[in-house]
Amino acid sequence: MRLERLAGMDIASRNHVTVTGNPQGPTVVLAHGFGCDQNMWRLTVPALVDDYRVVLFDHVGSGRSDASAFSEERYASLDGYARDVVEVCEALELRDAVFVGHSVSAMIGVLAAGLAPERIGALVMVAPSPRYIDDEGYRGGFSAEDIDELLASLEANYLGWSAAMAPVIMGNADRPELGDELRNSFCTTDPDMARVFARTTFLSDSRDDLKGVSVPTLVLECTQDVIAPREVGAFVHQAIPGSALVTLEATGHCPHLSAPEATNQAIVDFLASL
Amino acid sequence: MSPLKITPRDAATGPVLELSGELDYANVAELHQALDGLALRPGRCLVLDMSGLEFCDSSGITALIAARSNAQTVRADVALAAVPPNILRVLRIVGLDQIFTVHPDIESATRP
Amino acid sequence: MMCRADQQPDPQDADADADADRTADAAFAALLEDSAEDLYENAPCGYLSTLMDGTIAKINGTLLDWLGLEREAVVGRKRFTDLLTVGGKLYHETHFAPLLRMQSEISGIALEMKQTGGGRIPVLVSSAVKHGTTGQPLLIRTTVFDARDRRAYEEELLRRREAAEEARRQAEADRARLQEALAVLQQSLLPDTLPPVPGAQTATHYHTASPDRLGGDFYDVFALDGQRFGFFLGDVCGKGPQAAALTSLTRYTLRAAALHDPDPVSALTTLNTVLHERYAGSGDPRYCTAVYGTLEPDPATGQLAVHLAAGGHPPAIVLRADGTADFLPTPGGLLVGILPSAPFTDATTVLGPGDTLLLYTDGLTEARTGQDRAGLYGDEALLAFVTAHAGKPPHAVVQALTGLLDSFGDGLDDDTALLAIGVPASDPQTRDER
Repeated sequence: MRLERLAGMDIASRNHVTVTGNPQGPTVVLAHGFGCDQNMWRLTVPALVDDYRVVLFDHVGSGRSDASAFSEERYASLDGYARDVVEVCEALELRDAVFVGHSVSAMIGVLAAGLAPERIGALVMVAPSPRYIDDEGYRGGFSAEDIDELLASLEANYLGWSAAMAPVIMGNADRPELGDELRNSFCTTDPDMARVFARTTFLSDSRDDLKGVSVPTLVLECTQDVIAPREVGAFVHQAIPGSALVTLEATGHCPHLSAPEATNQAIVDFLASL
Repeated sequence: MSPLKITPRDAATGPVLELSGELDYANVAELHQALDGLALRPGRCLVLDMSGLEFCDSSGITALIAARSNAQTVRADVALAAVPPNILRVLRIVGLDQIFTVHPDIESATRP
Repeated sequence: MMCRADQQPDPQDADADADADRTADAAFAALLEDSAEDLYENAPCGYLSTLMDGTIAKINGTLLDWLGLEREAVVGRKRFTDLLTVGGKLYHETHFAPLLRMQSEISGIALEMKQTGGGRIPVLVSSAVKHGTTGQPLLIRTTVFDARDRRAYEEELLRRREAAEEARRQAEADRARLQEALAVLQQSLLPDTLPPVPGAQTATHYHTASPDRLGGDFYDVFALDGQRFGFFLGDVCGKGPQAAALTSLTRYTLRAAALHDPDPVSALTTLNTVLHERYAGSGDPRYCTAVYGTLEPDPATGQLAVHLAAGGHPPAIVLRADGTADFLPTPGGLLVGILPSAPFTDATTVLGPGDTLLLYTDGLTEARTGQDRAGLYGDEALLAFVTAHAGKPPHAVVQALTGLLDSFGDGLDDDTALLAIGVPASDPQTRDER
């Protein structure tokens, strides 16, 4: 796999954009969800690189994005993340790219396609949920108190990793060499930024945005997913006119990791149908 | 900047304080302390040997004035000796050359 | 076993050794009887193994005990995430599971498990994936450590960190408030604007050395009667609130004294009496340096008559329209307030068109210069500098000096006040050329 880091571009370094794959092929943008970073796609990228140009990036506040670009205000809504996606597309001069978003990034893709329809030509929504908290006539799977518990877990794990994270706690964050040595490092984030992303993600309600999707859309759901249960997959499928729904024999919220062959096959089939 | 050094000794005329280094806001308390520790008897003269003094700011001037008024309350005197030209210039500006006896060197200041 | 090299073992010792050997053997045998099965079940930590989809295949007694669960209700029926609180579940799905998939192992993750009866137990979880002979993932082995003590400690640590953060914020807010108050107080020591003096121009500048410490320089220009104006500029000893109080007393005394008797020596003498009475007996001698004077414009000639006196203050400088400049000496004027009666020296001059009178405090001449900050700027350098600006109007002179002050950088460690009073040049050429 050839990873080519785009240098000298503000947006590219802000979102740690990496471009790989076939430069002549159509472009597929892979967007990670809340929790980890672009490494989440490591089992998917090999299935795409022969025929597609693959763009990977980290949301600001995750992975190796530029933490100094973080703004609590900008990222208090999914729009902020969607604008970043549009800026990444603009920086790479993408047209009609296929945007593959996992979890909350599936919804970020919907918003980005609304903001820049010429840039995004199709959507793949992996384990999407337009709203995580239950509402009247809608079952998202969680209550507001559940989300507070997640925030507490983030805080606890910030300290739970304290042996490795001690320099960060002590304020010596300027020792980047530690970052590479950290185990569990793909999912380590500054707890303040993670808290904002978590709140923005789990308190969002993008149900009304689904009906505005006008591009070809594939919805991938898992048979057993605590975070995006099958009712939610069905809801998304029904709300987006003309979308396709594929249910993957997979447990958990990350089918691209737990059932990569089936997930990749579904994505590749969809890409071929465009 | 050189630190302030205060060396006390006795002469026939009375106590002598040798001042060297820089006298300013940051260390003037040391001079006040040294002055408070002196037992100045009536009729005696405290001589401040300023030959090694490199700098004296307004806090130092205040200390000189305090030394003089303390001496006067016990009917003693204060004299300055070997004042470097740059400090003498400051003393002239503030008019202190008129109220202090200024000796050109320590010998003439301590001659009984 | 004990071994004595220095003597032959006697039979009784040999018996004792044999006894000791038997005891040790028994203990070792007991250890051997501690089966792996028993160790697994009753280890001081929780063990469980799950299928790749999280279904629990095996769980030890310790963990069942902690959670208050029966084995039958768990094995084959529950997934690992079912044992977690909702927050833990979310964390598991968004962080734990993906990392485990990517790294095949993960360690020391803080999660909370649900106990039957509604309790929660904070735990530290480590997992590793067991792979088959062809490398395919088979199952996940997980150990669970009771982290109640540790979590309490960490929460305390977090609380402390938050408290420290709060204290820091509070201290910053206090500091900002204090600086604001000091700035207001400092402002009150200086006039907002100077009154227009007919036929003359004035310009001022105040450099504050430290925002934390009130400075003690001051200046003012004010009307005395229909024709004349009074002006002064000075420097009180020390810094901080006491210096500010002295500045305030000095300003108002000078203004009041000037209205009573505008003669410069009289005004300074009154100030000397007031300051000496106020501070002489206090054990904290305080004094100031000051230049005070009067301005009398002559509408007929366009000239400005200056009469000033100084006590303990560096001499004023007069810049002439012809490009020369010189000190206006007031030798022998004593610091104001140190003696019951003090000599003050006066001087007069007349400013014609293009001439400017410059007053300054010694922050300017005492500024440290040079690489090592060892030298002082001094009056000769100042005179040379302003000579180059002679003929310019007051604001231009003050602007040039402001640039000079800025160029001192951290060599300028005292407050500095500038006051320039001049008569506009009749011929604009003169003003612009120089």
